Amino acid sequence: MILFYLIAPALIMFVLSFLHHRLLNRILPITTLMILIPIVYLFGLEKPYTIIGNYWVATQLNSYILLISSIVAIGVTFALVTLKRRVRIENRSYVLFYRFFALFWIGLIISILANNMGIYWIGLEMATLSTVYMIKTNQSKHASKEAWNYMIVGAIAISLILFGIILIYASAKPILGEDAMNFALLQEHINEIKNPFLFELGFVIVSLGMFIKMGFFPMNLWLANIERASFYPVAALFSGILESAILVGFFHFSTIAIEIDRGATFSFVFIYLSLTLFLVSFLIYRSKDFMRLFSLSGVEHMILIILFWISGGYYAALLHFGAHAFLKPALFLSTGVLESNGQYKISGTLRGYQGWRGKSFAVIVGLFLLAIIGLPPSPMFFSEIYGFEAIIHLANQEDYYLWIIAALIVLLLLLSIIFYKFIEIYQSMRYEGEAESKIVYTNEWSFALLFLLATLTLLLPQTTTYLKAIYG
Amino acid sequence: MIDFFIGLFLASFIVALFSGRLYKLIFWYAFNALTLGIITLLVGAQIDDIALIISGSITLILKAGIIPFILKRSAKRFHLKREITSNIPIQYSILLVPSIIIFTLYLAEPMSSMIGVNSQYIAISISSFFLALILMIEHKNIAPKIIAFLMMENALFLLGTTATYGMPMFIELGIFIDVMIAIVIINLLFKEEAIR
Repeated sequence: MILFYLIAPALIMFVLSFLHHRLLNRILPITTLMILIPIVYLFGLEKPYTIIGNYWVATQLNSYILLISSIVAIGVTFALVTLKRRVRIENRSYVLFYRFFALFWIGLIISILANNMGIYWIGLEMATLSTVYMIKTNQSKHASKEAWNYMIVGAIAISLILFGIILIYASAKPILGEDAMNFALLQEHINEIKNPFLFELGFVIVSLGMFIKMGFFPMNLWLANIERASFYPVAALFSGILESAILVGFFHFSTIAIEIDRGATFSFVFIYLSLTLFLVSFLIYRSKDFMRLFSLSGVEHMILIILFWISGGYYAALLHFGAHAFLKPALFLSTGVLESNGQYKISGTLRGYQGWRGKSFAVIVGLFLLAIIGLPPSPMFFSEIYGFEAIIHLANQEDYYLWIIAALIVLLLLLSIIFYKFIEIYQSMRYEGEAESKIVYTNEWSFALLFLLATLTLLLPQTTTYLKAIYG
Repeated sequence: MIDFFIGLFLASFIVALFSGRLYKLIFWYAFNALTLGIITLLVGAQIDDIALIISGSITLILKAGIIPFILKRSAKRFHLKREITSNIPIQYSILLVPSIIIFTLYLAEPMSSMIGVNSQYIAISISSFFLALILMIEHKNIAPKIIAFLMMENALFLLGTTATYGMPMFIELGIFIDVMIAIVIINLLFKEEAIR
């Protein structure tokens, strides 16, 4: 029954989107707010909570991710209220956006709560396909081209994930039968598998599919171009929610792969991530607009989350994940205001705000920008400290101590390029250029405040206790 | 019998790669899905698995019947370009196709000893996957790319059927629903472009 409650608001939203009522534009955001109620209820239940015959299981991990995703969705809804004043969007596209958002949300719940590889894939595919149309809500030729691009490359990525799942299933089916699809059972019996090679091959292919979907090497600019072409709330959904669903899957698969061969799993992921970070840091250095900058920075943070997770720094990974899920959509949504005087204009964008609402909005956005590069007291500062500590701890246990430390230094150097670029941009936004007047609507101020409060919640001792309890 | 249809399955991929017309490509997709449906039915009958027989029947109805019909209708309705030119010169494709098949046969050999099924089946599934990728890459137009995506789905379905004797029924049903959602979204995108 709980699964029905979880998807009920999305179903209502989906049905309502077919009605032709003049108040529809006001009713649809309210239905979005309803998604939080069942999720908060689920969050309060004792874990693990089994839903429909073990096919879906609410754990501390996935209910945390679902709660974060629902807060992001509400923030996005706030921003949508004045989207029409910021961009040219037809009423029909606006309603269609909500229709596909409903499908997206159903797909997301199916995948995040799934305790079964197949169901996880079905949910992820559903979420991916429904986002294609959201890109198309922007009626420009560029957005149309990028929607098709997303459809095609997304299809390749999702097919690779299914390919890997079939191999993993084939490796475990002789001992578990049809239950080989079950994440929890597979983890329990992983050491009984007779063909770990087949599992590892499956894991590599699943990871490749997920990395492509997250914009890793060799698709570094793919996601950035799509987010540039879409309206900013769509980019916020991509960075704050869709990538969460992919990460949940990676957490599941990698935890099992680590049980088989930690060294091989770590080496493969570490080399792949380093290569991606090498390219991304230089792309960030050269980026000339907010959307691409934030999108590429999203890739950088996904790299860090995966790196911390694979090194055993679970708390660091989850804290970093939470902080990124709040800060990045907040920055994407802020571009509606920041780019109100031109898309490729960076200097002076934190100047020219009038009244307490405008001025406080500028301060909050400035804080977000500094928090995303891990300046204290941002949760990212703490997650990075804990995360890199986990890597050093892991290096101590391995035979390749010096190699790992050397690679870590290179990674830190690459991160410093990104840090430099963000500081340069912040200074340019704050102190350079002309102070052109900008309007901040109440709803925009509200989402900024919501994300600020949500980010601060991550610093509470209760959050730390909760996150540390997830994987010890 | 299964060998014969798997051969036809692969052959339809190769012919699709060299198709220069959209309707022919849709036809080869339907033929590919038809062989896939028959293979699934045959494997299901061989191991006496009702779930596989249901999957095979749905494949025949949905992928070999409904989807090609919708695709052809959309192509007519939205006046899609019927001439589809390949980015890869034909002489390179002729070299590429056998190379992929030989490579996947070599790749599948150790895998088949682990899974315990005929290695050629797995090799053909994997090579079909790569051939679908090439089909996707070699065309500039969007319609052939969509058909390549659907053929890729077929290749994975074959891999699931041959390597694992089918995935659990509800998952296969879920995949069918996703394919239908994909078709609806593709249609919507075409419609939007036609309106503009």
